Amino acid sequence: MTALALPLPVRSAWRRWRPGAAAWTTLGVFLLFAVLVPRFASSGNLVNVLRVAAILCVAACGQAIVLVLGGIEFSFGSSAALASVVGVLAVPWLGPAGGLAAGGAVVIAIGALNGALIAGFGLPPFVVTLGMLMAAAGAAASLVGGQPIDAPPSAAFAWPAAGSVATIPVPILLGAAAVTVLHALLSRSRLGRLWYLAGANPVAARLSGIAVGRVTFLGYLVAGAFCAVTAVVLTSRVGSGQPNLAPNLPFESIAACAIGGIPLAGGEGRAHQVVCGVLVIAMMNNAVVLLNFPIAAQQLVMAVVIIGAVLLQNAGSLPVMLRRALTRRPNA
Amino acid sequence: MRTALRLLGGQRFLVAPLCLLGAVIVFAASAPEFLTLGNVSNVGAQMWVLALLAVGQMFAIVTRGFDISVGAVAALSSTIAAHAVNALGPAGLLAGPLTGLLCGTLTGFLIGFLRLQPIVATLGMMIGVRGLALLVTGDGQVVPLHDADLASWLAFDPAFGLPPADWGAIGCILLAGALLGRAVLGRRLVMLGSNPDAAHLVGIDTARTQLRAYQLCGGFAGLAGVLVLLRAGTGLPTDGAGMELQSIAAALIGGTALSGGVARVFPVVLGAAFIQAVLTGLDLQGVSPFIAQIVVGLVIVAAGFLEFALRRFQGFAFHRRSWT
Amino acid sequence: MAASLEADRIAKAFGATLALRGASLHLQPGRVHALLGENGAGKSTLVKIIVGALAPDAGALRMAGRPVVFRSVREAMAAGIVPIHQHLSLFPHLSVLENLSAFALGCTRRAAASSALLPRAEAAARLETVGLHLDLDQPVAALSLGQRQLLEIARSVGRECRVLVLDEPTAALNHSEAARLFEVVRRLCAAGTAVLFISHRLDEIDAVADDVTVLRDGRAVIAGTPRSHLSREALVRAMLGTAVAAATRHLPEPGAPVLVAAGLRPGPGDAPADCVVRAGEVVGLAGLVGSGALELAAALAGARPAAGQLHVAGRRLPPGDRQQAVALGVGYVPGDRHAEGLFPVLSALQNASACSTRGLAPAGVLSPAREAARMLPWLRRMKLHPFLPAMKARTFSGGNQQKLLMARNLAIDGLRVLVVLEPTRGVDIAARETIHDAIADIARQGVAVVLATSDLDEAMALAHRVLVVRHGRIAAEILRGAARTNLLDALAGQAAA
Ligand SMILES: Nc1ncnc2c1ncn2[C@@H]1O[C@H](COP(=O)(O)OP(=O)(O)OP(=O)(O)O)[C@@H](O)[C@H]1O
Ligand SMILES: [Mg+2]
Repeated sequence: MTALALPLPVRSAWRRWRPGAAAWTTLGVFLLFAVLVPRFASSGNLVNVLRVAAILCVAACGQAIVLVLGGIEFSFGSSAALASVVGVLAVPWLGPAGGLAAGGAVVIAIGALNGALIAGFGLPPFVVTLGMLMAAAGAAASLVGGQPIDAPPSAAFAWPAAGSVATIPVPILLGAAAVTVLHALLSRSRLGRLWYLAGANPVAARLSGIAVGRVTFLGYLVAGAFCAVTAVVLTSRVGSGQPNLAPNLPFESIAACAIGGIPLAGGEGRAHQVVCGVLVIAMMNNAVVLLNFPIAAQQLVMAVVIIGAVLLQNAGSLPVMLRRALTRRPNA
Repeated sequence: MRTALRLLGGQRFLVAPLCLLGAVIVFAASAPEFLTLGNVSNVGAQMWVLALLAVGQMFAIVTRGFDISVGAVAALSSTIAAHAVNALGPAGLLAGPLTGLLCGTLTGFLIGFLRLQPIVATLGMMIGVRGLALLVTGDGQVVPLHDADLASWLAFDPAFGLPPADWGAIGCILLAGALLGRAVLGRRLVMLGSNPDAAHLVGIDTARTQLRAYQLCGGFAGLAGVLVLLRAGTGLPTDGAGMELQSIAAALIGGTALSGGVARVFPVVLGAAFIQAVLTGLDLQGVSPFIAQIVVGLVIVAAGFLEFALRRFQGFAFHRRSWT
Repeated sequence: MAASLEADRIAKAFGATLALRGASLHLQPGRVHALLGENGAGKSTLVKIIVGALAPDAGALRMAGRPVVFRSVREAMAAGIVPIHQHLSLFPHLSVLENLSAFALGCTRRAAASSALLPRAEAAARLETVGLHLDLDQPVAALSLGQRQLLEIARSVGRECRVLVLDEPTAALNHSEAARLFEVVRRLCAAGTAVLFISHRLDEIDAVADDVTVLRDGRAVIAGTPRSHLSREALVRAMLGTAVAAATRHLPEPGAPVLVAAGLRPGPGDAPADCVVRAGEVVGLAGLVGSGALELAAALAGARPAAGQLHVAGRRLPPGDRQQAVALGVGYVPGDRHAEGLFPVLSALQNASACSTRGLAPAGVLSPAREAARMLPWLRRMKLHPFLPAMKARTFSGGNQQKLLMARNLAIDGLRVLVVLEPTRGVDIAARETIHDAIADIARQGVAVVLATSDLDEAMALAHRVLVVRHGRIAAEILRGAARTNLLDALAGQAAA
């Protein structure tokens, strides 16, 4: 017994760094595309993949926090759209940087509102963020009458998407920073531990003297901050206020976490899982475009990859499940 | 069962009727013509698509899942049914629910047997089914019915006060009510949502039961697709975006618990009626559809609040000495 | 006589844990077979295999001499094996009647639910057999824990039943309820049913068991020996490998008042309760199911909103404010460890440190090394088994989960008051001693302890005085050393002689 206990730090380090199912899946998808898709593995294209992945990654990091809390966040998509519209509208007053900041502030405010409703009144996250998704989409569209508006062209406005620091594109830097911050929060901060506790069993957390409400609120707030970064980069990339900017953002971010193996039940999830899931989605999006598939086929491939990647996570138990499914029970 | 549900926080089922009543009063006060017969029947006619989707959604939610592919499935069903009617005549309408059933079977298989989380399985299905709808229509062309008269007769000519298609929808919804309240399958769905481990231990085949839930959900989405087809006279392959969220909202306002085990059909239909009333009512008052969208979003949050308030008001006695 | 059910050299591994390594079991018709073993010995795992909820890695099952394979609970039930599990498996949203009919609803091939429901008269009769009188249309969510347990038993015993499997059915029952259960068990036995019975309470084993099998580390060390051939010491030695004597513990002289409650009312129907718990004092709270004893204890820990005043070491503690309570050093071990205590997907270590995150992360930065250094001694002291602090809490056996909750509360910085509810429910003899030792120990260190328990021996053995709660009021106070019958009388509401 004690023999097992002694090397605990070593064992837990191995647990932490052992390439899990998520990493193997990601590697598998990469090799598959590298072999099957021409030009996929070229360095120029891979940077492109990373650039797209990074933008999604930041939002998925926020989503992961919410999932650890046992919640779900749908409002990301339209809050990013609202941010882009508000940001562009604010440029004449605040300048390009100020406009982008204003857009980001909108996303954070929506995250805070979600958190206040969910934590303060015990409303189900599903309902609150769904309602907020619709409301923010409506707000974005009504601000500009449903039509996109262009931002005055400026280098500062384009910088978050197109700029680079020491030859590394800014979005990739932001993505890496987001993952680092998420990892630090989840595994090394008290707040992160409280997120796990509150997500694993909120009643037990309350009885252990944890301010579950405050912890939950902070979770949605921080998630909103992550999403704000994504919204700023996206706005900068399209260079306009789009009321229909990223309709799939919430779904893609949830799918990324799920592909990485984060369960929606709460209390579990780690930063590297987010990275793996995001990479799978980004590689897939990239590959279907390189293959020049028509939209219909692109969507079919995406569906198969999302479902297939998650299935691969529990590939070990697949044969059992299939046998269960295919054998008809004798009459009881 | 009735009393059971009433005792167990039956107040959640009051949210939908209260909301509907509130909406009617507000609209009637601000625009007296809202309550004219024409208008009411207008809302009535439009609400059945949403009601069918919401009732299907309810079957998924009562087992602790949900299905965000219903809008896409409805769109696919409407186009396939349109092709089938053009080829086979009125019997081709059956292709709609069949398509839905097929999609639901696949979703249910992924969730029940392969243990995928509902969000992943139905998200994948949503994307895939949209792709399929584009594929069968040559990149999103609408599919007009050759025999437009048949469709308009079914969808718009009242017989006994309502068009035949609406009677059909009502019939299906009543069937759903009987299924949930009186059939063994309905009980099993509720048991599965109420305590999945216990459901397994008393011998319920949980995988198969989950499969049934999503089959029902898909089947109802297929029916909704047929209704869309009849009302529009064309199959609409790219329609239905946004419907999945509205249907979830209607089911939730109708008192269905996301935590499983609690659902009734009638309040869900009222929830759908309420959302449709808000959309139509705002439209009548010349409010932009974008603003209407904001209102619906806020209303969903507010419905959550109403339930919270009702729970506060009545709940205290229930929490005493249950699980200590 | 042919055994009605034989399990032959069953093996089962969960990852690296070998839960069963060739355990055998022979059940005879018309006899009660007790299955004993310490926490984590593999009892529940063996039961799950017998009832078809788990597939064995190796070994065979035979019924009446013929080999059988159960691929699901449904198949096992069709063969006449009726399970009652350690953790409640009722449906809170359904009515009593529907819960009673759950097996039929699960298996029927009919379409109409009404055809699968029991006739109401029969349902009422079945409730009667376990002594329950309930409205059949009431939702189960409104029942108490004890009522639910009895309902679950009523649900199972009415069936065509060749083998009845009871996994710690008495853990949540009080004495009269347990006695009623034993009556039901004997009646079934007389009709030829084979009964498999798991319990950690040796008194109950003495009362009902005909044969005994003892598991240790996944193997049978005593296999189907008649109970009368075994002494208690032999049983305990077989279970634990050593003899354990129930120690009489020395308790300290109580010091200054620490926890002071004035006019505390946990619910609107309860009488205001006044009580004072002193440093180093252990106060028992005893009451029948539904008496309000557990609620009062929870309110004392600030775990439940209540009217009235609470003071801890002279500082006001607003009732229902657990945050403040933990800051003041009030620990709370809840009675329902699954719903209110455990973080099932988190590791044992994270479970243990849940109340101490502030101390472990002074500037908000958590150091795993510091966490391990602070918490591992507590886990070691509670004798967590298997000692795998990184393993998820839900994979530990029930008794070890309880040890995690104790460790969590003992580790609170500046612990002044510890409120424990049913600390040894479902816990083996060795663990029970460990937990009792821990309670007596912290009392000696000056912590005020409130011990709410339905186990009277526990209350009498550990507490300076026992407050008896009846109908939401403190009805009597029994001092340490009084006769057990005094306590029983007080509980039932008769004046002590
Ligand atoms: N799902 C699981 N995954 C991993 N390990 C498990 C799992 N279920 C049980 N175990 C382990 O198997 C061993 C046997 O557990 P089991 O629940 O059968 O014990 P038990 O004898 O019933 O104990 P108790 O008296 O506490 O109920 C334990 O060490 C436990 O940690
Ligand atoms: Mg057990």
